[in-house]
Amino acid sequence: MDIVKIPENDFYKFVDKKIAEKSSRIISVVRKGTKFVFDELDSASRMCLDYDVTILPPKKYFQPQKETLLRFVPKQADSYEAVNEFEPITLIGVHYYDLAAIYLMDRAFSEGKKDENYLKKRNNALLIGLYPTHFFKYRFSSSVIKGEQPYKVADLMLIHMDDGHFALEIVTEKGRAYIEGAGCKKSDYTLKEIEDAKNRIKDDQRLPIPVELTPDYLMKNHDHPVWEVFGEKCYSCGSCVFVCPTCYCFDMKDEIDLTLKSGERTRNWDGCMLENFAVCAGGHNFRGKRAARFRHRIFRKGVNLPLKYHYWGCVGCGRCADACTSSIAGPVKVFKYIEENK
Amino acid sequence: MSEKPKVAFFDFACCEGCQLQIANLEEDIIGLLNLVNVVEFREVATGKAPEYDIAFIEGSITRKSDEERLKDIRNRSKLLVAYGQCAVTGGINLLKNNFGDLDMVKRKVYGDDSSMPHLDTAVTKSVGEVVKADLAIPGCPVNREEFLRIVKELCLGKIPRIPDYPVCVECKLKENICLFDEGTICLGPIARAGCGAICPSNGVPCDACRGAVPNPNKKAMHEVLKKYNYTVERIIREMNLFGVNPEVSE
Repeated sequence: MDIVKIPENDFYKFVDKKIAEKSSRIISVVRKGTKFVFDELDSASRMCLDYDVTILPPKKYFQPQKETLLRFVPKQADSYEAVNEFEPITLIGVHYYDLAAIYLMDRAFSEGKKDENYLKKRNNALLIGLYPTHFFKYRFSSSVIKGEQPYKVADLMLIHMDDGHFALEIVTEKGRAYIEGAGCKKSDYTLKEIEDAKNRIKDDQRLPIPVELTPDYLMKNHDHPVWEVFGEKCYSCGSCVFVCPTCYCFDMKDEIDLTLKSGERTRNWDGCMLENFAVCAGGHNFRGKRAARFRHRIFRKGVNLPLKYHYWGCVGCGRCADACTSSIAGPVKVFKYIEENK
Repeated sequence: MSEKPKVAFFDFACCEGCQLQIANLEEDIIGLLNLVNVVEFREVATGKAPEYDIAFIEGSITRKSDEERLKDIRNRSKLLVAYGQCAVTGGINLLKNNFGDLDMVKRKVYGDDSSMPHLDTAVTKSVGEVVKADLAIPGCPVNREEFLRIVKELCLGKIPRIPDYPVCVECKLKENICLFDEGTICLGPIARAGCGAICPSNGVPCDACRGAVPNPNKKAMHEVLKKYNYTVERIIREMNLFGVNPEVSE
């Protein structure tokens, strides 16, 4: 993999140039009050690459919160037409754990019948990754992500060096073409300098057991009191799943306009932690208890997805732990509780 | 649909803010009028009708005479919809019920005038406590978008659904900074969504004006509020504003 370098200021100028070109929407991290969000840039000066974590992960650009899939005329069965809206986008400064999550999303939406609405958006996106430069107290990515995972989706990776430069790993040819004309020079950093910069921020939290062991471990603890103890404190507010970069559940809604002559079928974010998520025909709720829902979420991340994709279903971003007002959502806390109450 | 449904709007004990939301639908009011035939709506039109396909009832029921009037409307309506929190649960007017002695409440509010006949009062009831309400549209005031959606769905013969999840969902979708992170408390985790988290989005804590979700975790709410140094009295006061019963079962 080629590595080049570019002075930080030049990189910001390059982003401004790309914004002016208007060949794709340029999206990066910006401030929102005391926190950060991904948003479209009108100027590189808004870009804030020294962030800790964003409120929502970048999945919102590939699986929008609300997305039209069909248009139709009400009560006319053959009237529907498929809708697939997408445009080229460039995401700048996606932390490596969010890239790992995008890889899991890609797997999920490519399985079986491919989800063209997701995949068209993904294939029209260029991803410029970033190694974090700021500590986040709930992050534990280094204990759950495998090194190669982010590189399965990134086109370029930014590494913040100490001398006012970014080192830039060129992961794909698409990425190489994108930075042509940016004024990058060949990197003269040693491998050690690069690795040190990548790992400059140490996670405070670790999963207390090796990640490969979690499927068996959780299955053995299927009936552990932890689910009741934590579930009792759960509001079923869904905060943990809506901020999760690897959660992709959705609900479908038909919306009719005021003339009653045209309608749209939309898919909307949904979450397994909401009380009525699992209500099915006849009114039965097959996951009606807080404890059952709480266990289900952890099992999705620690059993089902790892067995299916050979990567852990959680990327350790820590957003759920941060978003949970009851302070129960973080997986590290759950595993620690099991360990301490064997 | 061959003929537009005949629709009427009525108000009882309320601020009339919900019907103002309907009158304020701006360009959508035309669309609404293409969809339904408004035969009675005191605030915006003259005219009365003997019967209705859909009667929308605003306000809580606080007098014996109001109960009779509501029953009469019910008898003349195919569908009856309680809209706005006063109609749905009693809303703000429920506060009165916390004091027990209604004469004392009346004197406190109206002073020397309290014995005048039009100030007659009884225990606050929701519309559904007096007659059968086929549907309830919560909120103080109602959300105009939600109201329109429900009218459309009723016209199409669908059963409208009201969000049954907490306001936190809508705050997350809007990427609001959680008010708990800013040191403010908010009833969002137990409050029914559907408002688009309009208050927290503007920095104002949620008062649960759409009531609580069907199965609120009040025990968690009490614990979290205590963590933020709220006294039990304060918790009760917060929850009482829109009649969310603050008591913890179990």
